[in-house]
Amino acid sequence: MSSGAGREPVFPTRQSLQTMKAKLKGAQTGHDLLKRKSEALTKRFREITRRIDEAKRKMGRVMQIAAFSLAEVTYATGNDGIKYQITESVRSAKFRVRTRQENVSGVFLPQFETWEMEGTSEFGMTGLGKGGQQVQKSRETYTRAVETLVELASLQTAFVILDEVIKVVNRRVNAIEHVIIPRTENTISYINSELDELDREEFFRLKKVKNVKEREKQRSEKESRSHSDKENEQVDSQGGGEEGGSNVLGDDEDKDVIF
Amino acid sequence: MAEGMFYNVTGGYVEGIVRGYRNQLLTSQNYGNLTQCETIDDVKLQLGPAYGDFLASLAPNPSTSALADKTMDKLVAEFRYLQANAVGSLAKFMDYLTYAYMIDNVALLITGTLHERDTRELLERCHPLGWFETMPVLCVATNIEELYNSVLIETPLAPYFKGSISHHDLDELNIEIIRNTLYKNYLEDFYKFVNEEPGIAGTPTATVMREVLEFEADRRSINITLNSFGTDLSKADRKKLYPNFGRLHPEGTLMLSRADDPEGVRIAVDGVHDYRTMMDQTGMGGGGGGGVGNQSGGIGDEGKSLEDLFYQKEMEISKLAFTYQFTHAVVYAWVKLKEQEIRNITWIAECIAQQQKDRIGNYISVF
Amino acid sequence: MALPQSAYKDRQFLAVIGDEDSVTGILLAGVGHVTDPPDSQKNFLVVDSKTENSTIEGAFDSFTQERKDIAIVLINQHIADRIRSKVDQYNEAFPSLLEIPSKDHPYDPEKDSVLKRVRKLFGDE
Repeated sequence: MSSGAGREPVFPTRQSLQTMKAKLKGAQTGHDLLKRKSEALTKRFREITRRIDEAKRKMGRVMQIAAFSLAEVTYATGNDGIKYQITESVRSAKFRVRTRQENVSGVFLPQFETWEMEGTSEFGMTGLGKGGQQVQKSRETYTRAVETLVELASLQTAFVILDEVIKVVNRRVNAIEHVIIPRTENTISYINSELDELDREEFFRLKKVKNVKEREKQRSEKESRSHSDKENEQVDSQGGGEEGGSNVLGDDEDKDVIF
Repeated sequence: MAEGMFYNVTGGYVEGIVRGYRNQLLTSQNYGNLTQCETIDDVKLQLGPAYGDFLASLAPNPSTSALADKTMDKLVAEFRYLQANAVGSLAKFMDYLTYAYMIDNVALLITGTLHERDTRELLERCHPLGWFETMPVLCVATNIEELYNSVLIETPLAPYFKGSISHHDLDELNIEIIRNTLYKNYLEDFYKFVNEEPGIAGTPTATVMREVLEFEADRRSINITLNSFGTDLSKADRKKLYPNFGRLHPEGTLMLSRADDPEGVRIAVDGVHDYRTMMDQTGMGGGGGGGVGNQSGGIGDEGKSLEDLFYQKEMEISKLAFTYQFTHAVVYAWVKLKEQEIRNITWIAECIAQQQKDRIGNYISVF
Repeated sequence: MALPQSAYKDRQFLAVIGDEDSVTGILLAGVGHVTDPPDSQKNFLVVDSKTENSTIEGAFDSFTQERKDIAIVLINQHIADRIRSKVDQYNEAFPSLLEIPSKDHPYDPEKDSVLKRVRKLFGDE
């Protein structure tokens, strides 16, 4: 079954021929549709990859600016302990993401959205006596930087999912193109050839039957001619049988239909 | 001045050393060279004459924080030397200098203990100047109550805790409030010390230090006010953090405690010319809050921030301190100048490392 | 091809593995979260030169596999390099893994595991 040479395990009947023909048609339509889907997805995929490439480069710059704002904090507070204090005073995330889905040609792509919890920042008072303004400024810079990162993460997730989906779709397209369609076609031609074979057999059989009947007829005619003189009375009873035989022949003589 | 005659008996040596140290500080010429550097290695090379051996152990192309650590090592080593040679009121004076760093360390330790972090790791992060003998004992303290009762009480900072912060507060209050309360108590105590200590009162030390400490107190009050906008800190609590002296005290601080926005702060400091000029320079108040929450996020920052101006002012005061003779204040001034120098170096190195050269000129140089 | 909702519904946090500066900055944005005691877990890891690779890998596995509340994992590129094979093997959609630059290590697109895949896909065109 691995190559196109295989065929479906069906009985070569006219009914299964119909089924196979329908299947072939279905497969071709499906192939076209999937092919188009795959093309649409690939287009989207290329767009996303291009955007990822851009966004990754942009991220480099954004993060650099953000890192620099932190350098300003260190400068203003003149104390490295502030970093430790920030990492230690973390309690509950204010900056969170939620996931939304976007439908692209039947594929659901998740999209991260950022949202902020109500309430003031945990770091509102960080650097109260010294450097607080820089801390807040850096906080804003980093918030924007992280937003960029979240955007990029959305793209990247879409990339991973699309990559997977496109692979699946392409696999299906290829399966239909290289396995299902050839196999169905094989099956159809197999059924056709079987049916033809049957037809020939039937024809041969009928010819045989005809021959037999013909011979029978000739013989009976010969007999009837030789006996007609002596057994004229008997003809009546035999004639009934003859008429039945000629009826069968009459049917068979309706050749145009078969040939 | 009679005390001038006898000052050199006890403080002359240290003062001489400090004046020597002061002459080692980087000048604007040096800074000019530093800003031309392309790599951290170049910076290291430029710092060679001033820092010498201290930078020798640095790996090629060190990180900026490693560089900063080494420069700080030099400050600490020099400070320790001075401390070892100081006697009498000067020794006490220098102890007072270290208390400020202790407050930062204690705040760090409290944060760490609250979150059950490995205290050994914390000790490494503490400022070396704020080191006190019982600090390693903190390794055994596992909860706040223990920390308070067995460790903090033993530190020189204990009086600053007393009366304003109980061990329950350590658990509940924001660490920043604790830190600033301690700092307020410290400043007031230091102020009292320079005014009342027999060896210091009435000497140039008192004159200079009063100015320095008043400035420091005002700076904190203004900063706290500005930074508390938009936070949970209530006005009453905010008022408690203002030191009870300074040029803004009492009218200015009262108005600060009532301020709701940068404009209010500007009005509050209106009475003091220096601060008013600063507020005007940053465009804060009057022209709308351009200085706070700058949306540009590091790029195209217009001019200097208020913090920068405060640092600038602090440096000028420190520089002027050297015009006095027979005073402990030069030690204080030198520490501040040296700290600023380290900040400057870190800043320049950071700008070079991160290729943000357009902002490299934001350092503060007074010599 | 809709993913089951459970795959991402509860994912609302970001996780960070990075050097002190990167982590501090990102936490400053309000990302940090410590789950409730008794098994309080942080969603960030500060890595310095003394941190063992196994610690990083442990955090990486915890963020990417064990925890179901993390939507995005941010990791410093130079730290990702230390556990590169693990990072390259990872290709799940959730949580999304993002390599970010750090202060001392500028971003190098050549090393990024996702960009590598991008390049592999379009490289020969």
